[in-house]
Amino acid sequence: MLKSERKSLLRFLALYTAMVLLLIVVISAFYYETQKKLMLSNQRATMAKYAYIQTKRLKVLHHFFDEQRTYPRDPRFKSAIYDIEYKKIFSLLDDPNVRFDKEIYLTGNHIHLVKTLDEFYLGTRYLIIETEDDGVWREEIWSHILGYGILTFFLFMIFGLFLARMFVRPMKDSIMLLDRFIKDTTHELNTPLSAILANIEMMDTDVMVEKNRKKLNRINIAAKTVSTLYKDLTFLTLEQEKEDRIEHIDLKALILDRAEYFSVLAESKRLSCELDLKEAYIDADRRKITRLVDNLISNAIKYNKRDGTVGIKLHPGYLEIWDTGIGIAKEKIPFMFDRYMRFNESEGGFGVGLSIVKMIIDEYSIKIDVISTKEEGTRMILRWKDEE
Amino acid sequence: MKKSILLLMFMLFLGYGEDAFERNCVSCHSRLPATLQEIFKRYLLVYSGEKNVKAGIKHYLLYPSKDISVMSDLFISTYGIKRPVSLEEKELDEAIDIYWERFKVFGKLK
Repeated sequence: MLKSERKSLLRFLALYTAMVLLLIVVISAFYYETQKKLMLSNQRATMAKYAYIQTKRLKVLHHFFDEQRTYPRDPRFKSAIYDIEYKKIFSLLDDPNVRFDKEIYLTGNHIHLVKTLDEFYLGTRYLIIETEDDGVWREEIWSHILGYGILTFFLFMIFGLFLARMFVRPMKDSIMLLDRFIKDTTHELNTPLSAILANIEMMDTDVMVEKNRKKLNRINIAAKTVSTLYKDLTFLTLEQEKEDRIEHIDLKALILDRAEYFSVLAESKRLSCELDLKEAYIDADRRKITRLVDNLISNAIKYNKRDGTVGIKLHPGYLEIWDTGIGIAKEKIPFMFDRYMRFNESEGGFGVGLSIVKMIIDEYSIKIDVISTKEEGTRMILRWKDEE
Repeated sequence: MKKSILLLMFMLFLGYGEDAFERNCVSCHSRLPATLQEIFKRYLLVYSGEKNVKAGIKHYLLYPSKDISVMSDLFISTYGIKRPVSLEEKELDEAIDIYWERFKVFGKLK
């Protein structure tokens, strides 16, 4: 499975799981509320009977209030009386949280029934009847929610996996077809390109006349430009998917090698080169760091003026590649790492170079600073944690 | 003359020793068969809360009428409707407050 495919599948599954969980939670909450209402309506009949009994007792107490001051008690329930202004007249309730906006409700471990009296015995407008809630219904509901919830979750997840595969398959087929095509094409490109470059290297330029040497040099530059472009494209399409092979890279050696490679391009623009290289290392994939350095050096050459300078400064944890080229306007700097973004149409390329640079520096947590002045030049400064 | 002045002062002293409720209500109601406690319970039965009860009593005392009386028809037909009170509002409110405090149910149940 490709990295991007696995990523898409994981994202889909994460979203799908979140949605399934949300659905289960909503349905469970609805089920809980329904069951609670059902339990309360079952209790209502019994509690209404208690309220009726208590009302009769209050009536008697009201009429004999001069002689009798003991509030009627019942072992089956607790009660309280409130006046029309919601002031407590007397209460035996265990839970004092009384709500007058509901007829029956659950409060903690108790159930309250609020009965409104038509005749206000002892000034009572609201009679509250309280019974204890044994919580058996709640345990039963929770066991149902957990049992059915887990079962539903698993069923949904199996369905989700099936769904994900079904949706991903056509996409996967297309990607594979495209991949195979690109792989074949790039492979076909690589062979002649390597042959051109190798043969140019092998040619003995000393025996050539000046005119031919210049022509060969141009062929060499063109082939190297195509080769860099080819490497960027293969990196984006194929190599990016490969697993990383982290190694301890000697950056000084790598930069010297790449500077040598690009020297022909630099010479064609009559650029001078300033190197300030100290020993520096980084733990990363060599292919990626090579792409990073290649793109920065190639840009410094490409966007330089004739007779300009390209500089490379390497210190532990620090790499600066600068040029005396056309520079970039300050307001355009934030967009320079966007893919297909090109600020100068006169130069070749697809505008993928700096987006590759951004991908690689993000992967290895390398910080980049771009200091550029229009018509003066650009300095690309990379900083990373040096563990030497 | 001296004796009559002393008697007048004694009576005034006695009068001011009583509260507004004793002065203005108890004397007349003691002649009726329904006790003030009984009448209070009837007000409670109809009006419930403190503000309601006090407002009900005050309204009836100021504008007595058969239609708004809390007493039974038999009681009304036997003893009739009282005359409107001519007390000052402050005095009337004070008397009603004392009446409420004396007969309210709050704090009396056990």
